[in-house]
Amino acid sequence: MIRLPPGVLLVASLLALLAACSNDPHPKPFAEKRPDGSPWLVRYSAMPDEPKSLDPQFAYDEMSRRVLEPVMDTPLEYDPMKTNPYELRPGLLEEIPHGVPNAKGGIDYECRIKRGILFHDSPCFPGGKGRELVVGDFLYAWQRMCDPKVECPALSALADCVDGMNDAYEEAKKSGQFDYSKGIPGFEIKDPYSFTLHLTKAYPQILYWLAMHFTSPMAREAVEYFDGQKHAGETKQRPSYKFHPVGTGAFSFAEYVPGQRVRMRRNPNYHTVTFPEGGWPPELEKLNRPLAGKPIPFIDEIEITIFREALPNWLLTRQGYQDGMGVGKDAYNSVVTPIKTLSQSYRDKGMTLDKDVDPSTFYVTLNMQDPVLGPNKKLRQALSAAFDRQSWLDIFYNGVPTVADQLIPPGITGFRPELRNPYGFNLEKAKKLLAEAGYPNGIDPKTGQPLEITLDCVASGAEERQSAEYEQRQFQQLGIRIKVIENNFARMLEKEDQGNFQMASGSGWMADYPDPENFFFLFYSKNIPPIGKNSSRYIDAEFDKLFESMSSMENSPERSQIIDKMNLKLIEDCPMILSFNKAGYVIVQPWAPRTHHNVMLEGGIKFLVIDPVMREQKRREWNRKPLWPIGLVGVCLIGLVMYGVRWNRQRHV
Amino acid sequence: MFSYLIRRLLYTIPIIFGVMIITFILFFAIQKPDTMARVQLGKRATPESVQTWLHNRGYDKPRFINWDALKKHKVTIKEEKDGHTRTVTIEESGGSLFDSIFFHQMWRFATFDFGKSDVTGRPLKEVFKTGAIPSLLITVPAFFAGLATAVAFALVLVFLRHSPIDTAGTILCVMLMSLPSMIYIIFGQALVAIGLKYFPAFGYELNGLSTMKFLLLPVALMVVLGLGSDTRLYRTIFLEEYGQDYVRTAFAKGVPISRVMWVHVLKNGMIALITLTVAHLPVLILGSLLMENFFGIPGLGNTLYLAIQTTDFATVQAFVFIGALLIQAGLIATDFCYALVDPRIRLS
Repeated sequence: MIRLPPGVLLVASLLALLAACSNDPHPKPFAEKRPDGSPWLVRYSAMPDEPKSLDPQFAYDEMSRRVLEPVMDTPLEYDPMKTNPYELRPGLLEEIPHGVPNAKGGIDYECRIKRGILFHDSPCFPGGKGRELVVGDFLYAWQRMCDPKVECPALSALADCVDGMNDAYEEAKKSGQFDYSKGIPGFEIKDPYSFTLHLTKAYPQILYWLAMHFTSPMAREAVEYFDGQKHAGETKQRPSYKFHPVGTGAFSFAEYVPGQRVRMRRNPNYHTVTFPEGGWPPELEKLNRPLAGKPIPFIDEIEITIFREALPNWLLTRQGYQDGMGVGKDAYNSVVTPIKTLSQSYRDKGMTLDKDVDPSTFYVTLNMQDPVLGPNKKLRQALSAAFDRQSWLDIFYNGVPTVADQLIPPGITGFRPELRNPYGFNLEKAKKLLAEAGYPNGIDPKTGQPLEITLDCVASGAEERQSAEYEQRQFQQLGIRIKVIENNFARMLEKEDQGNFQMASGSGWMADYPDPENFFFLFYSKNIPPIGKNSSRYIDAEFDKLFESMSSMENSPERSQIIDKMNLKLIEDCPMILSFNKAGYVIVQPWAPRTHHNVMLEGGIKFLVIDPVMREQKRREWNRKPLWPIGLVGVCLIGLVMYGVRWNRQRHV
Repeated sequence: MFSYLIRRLLYTIPIIFGVMIITFILFFAIQKPDTMARVQLGKRATPESVQTWLHNRGYDKPRFINWDALKKHKVTIKEEKDGHTRTVTIEESGGSLFDSIFFHQMWRFATFDFGKSDVTGRPLKEVFKTGAIPSLLITVPAFFAGLATAVAFALVLVFLRHSPIDTAGTILCVMLMSLPSMIYIIFGQALVAIGLKYFPAFGYELNGLSTMKFLLLPVALMVVLGLGSDTRLYRTIFLEEYGQDYVRTAFAKGVPISRVMWVHVLKNGMIALITLTVAHLPVLILGSLLMENFFGIPGLGNTLYLAIQTTDFATVQAFVFIGALLIQAGLIATDFCYALVDPRIRLS
């Protein structure tokens, strides 16, 4: 009789055991049930990269903002329902402050803080219980912005208008230490629940800065307690404040495991804001009506998994372990049909498809100081009209982004939906303009040769190269010659600083805040690199004047007129070839419908809902494991062993 | 033997110093730290904030040698004496000649102070500590399981030499060797984790036995990855041993074939095997770049991958330094093991 080696049995039983265990990659939630016995609701979300820092005064990248938004409340916040245009609503402040002119010719904003708001429970507070938020916490945040060691990226914009911020920064730089016992002249404490911001000039955009986490109040105790050191009498090293934020938000920060996940849990003391009473689009009426005015958040725990590759997120979404995902390039063809609907296999699962348009505009920069392009407006217009944006977007972006006809993207004050770029794609017009520019059929009359223009791009892979070559072909339809120069990121920055290029592909801007000032400043003459981002080196006295007056005005019909004028002026002057507004598709799971579509919020998780029963049922349905392959592998192994043994016996007989 | 060890250790110093100089030149002479500052600071970087960023990390110092030290600067100081203020001009040298990025870094590495990550500001010591566990949990089982599987498979092939199984095994090995490693990972993930849903497709959690469900698939794939080439190699080694005189003698004395294979051949074949494998041991700690990235295991391989992606100078440099040290350690260990298992070899 042939005995089976014990190894085969062991492997078989191990595999059988494993088949029985779950393929759920998430760690156990913090609790199974709520204290009242109802299910504990976890929302599984994702992000494609690590947060760079969770220090509200330092972090500026999208990932950090995603983590900070649920944790750190801001004085004001975006109304989740108002997206056209975006609107602010009070967060930690009782109401949106109004600018009042002061004696020094500046503007004052009086801010009153809501009472009774508590910080998250944390060991940094006495007894581990979060204390009440007071005005000193706001001041501390503004002081930190001026501390050179914090490296606050918002400083340059705010110090420009808030009294004394620059002096505080310079002084600290000189002495090497920021003196937190000194106040900032521009931040005046009135009483424990109110403060006044003194601005040296009109800057209505300050309100948007109050909706960014740079201005989130900070507990000094927390910054000092979480120092990343091991203290006597404590078993564990304390985390560093940079990765352990303590705020007043709807969720308290629980853990960040680099490369893996961020977890947060519901703040039981949260009552800063409630779910909006209305303002949503009609299709959300059924979902949102029952939630109107209710206390938020609706969920108990957030787990954000860090997926640096797109594939795993896609796989886990298909298995029901993620509550939705952005559709990346890899997944696009399998998820979206050519007529831009969701593929059948996803629809069968009950998933739906949503499209988000980011408040961003991308363009090809034209160097206005270039001797060929700079003085020749018709030539720039001709180049703009020669570029077939739609076909380029179809090829390189699956046609998802929308063609930009103006610098201001949709959703931002000043966007005119009816406006069409007169220098949008029209090859006939482009050829005519080129002839008027002095280059009939693309020939430079001085040399008798085709006009040659260089196109700089940042190319790190084949796709970027192909994209640049496609652009090249488009412009060459005019009969001119385009020379593509590939650069690495550093080289491109250098060229932009020096103005050493003719055309540069791939420039763009994502709104910091939904105000046209945040886009027009890209063409303001005082923002030429390396100081600012006016890479076109567009210098126009009239535009500058309009910019200066509109940036200091509150929204009004008069301001709208100026914005329209600036918008049209840029289109006419063509210091750039407008190309697209970034957009993306999102897969929505049937149990996790979206209650809002506001992209200015980094997820707006506190307004979201979840149906745990449906999720559990779908997960079970989508993750049935076939056991026959284990049997098949086992049978094959046994067969091979038996064959080998027999063969060997025959040989040695 | 002791003097050999000392000599061998001394050799490693110039080697590692050389490695560090090359990495330094690659990072600081070819690409300027300014660029990295601007990448990190994002779209609102101003020349001032770039300067502050560089200063806070010590990257605003001269790159190699502080030539300023040779020049004398005139410094004016205001002095208050008996209520009168007077200005005194004194000459001051520009600091030490070695006050440069290069010397600061070399000194830090020499004292095993890795500093902080340029991107996240996390102390690198902590990064290495937390990353080493998941890495070791994959590479160590994969190393030993891989070794055992390949040795067993090779012995079986030698045992059944010239049979159809041997031929099929050899063909299989060549096939395994010919495929790029990405194929195994993608296919393994697609088949076992996605198709059959036996394991999570992605993720990691250190939590007792349930950690297994995250590790088994990557470990199994790593074993399969190395199986082809290792089996071919070991088969050759064992086949050579099998033809030796002592094997014939053992058979003549009536030793059963299983004992000849698993004791005599295996033991003698191990000499060659050890020298081939011991050098890999220390490097196991650095993890597997591809596997960790695909399965979302937060080990050191993944950390390195991220550091390269985000041009995190400090982290990559620390990795290169540790990697160089470990490889040297592996080579020294190989020498010793060689002497240990083969009494004919003396280290001198």
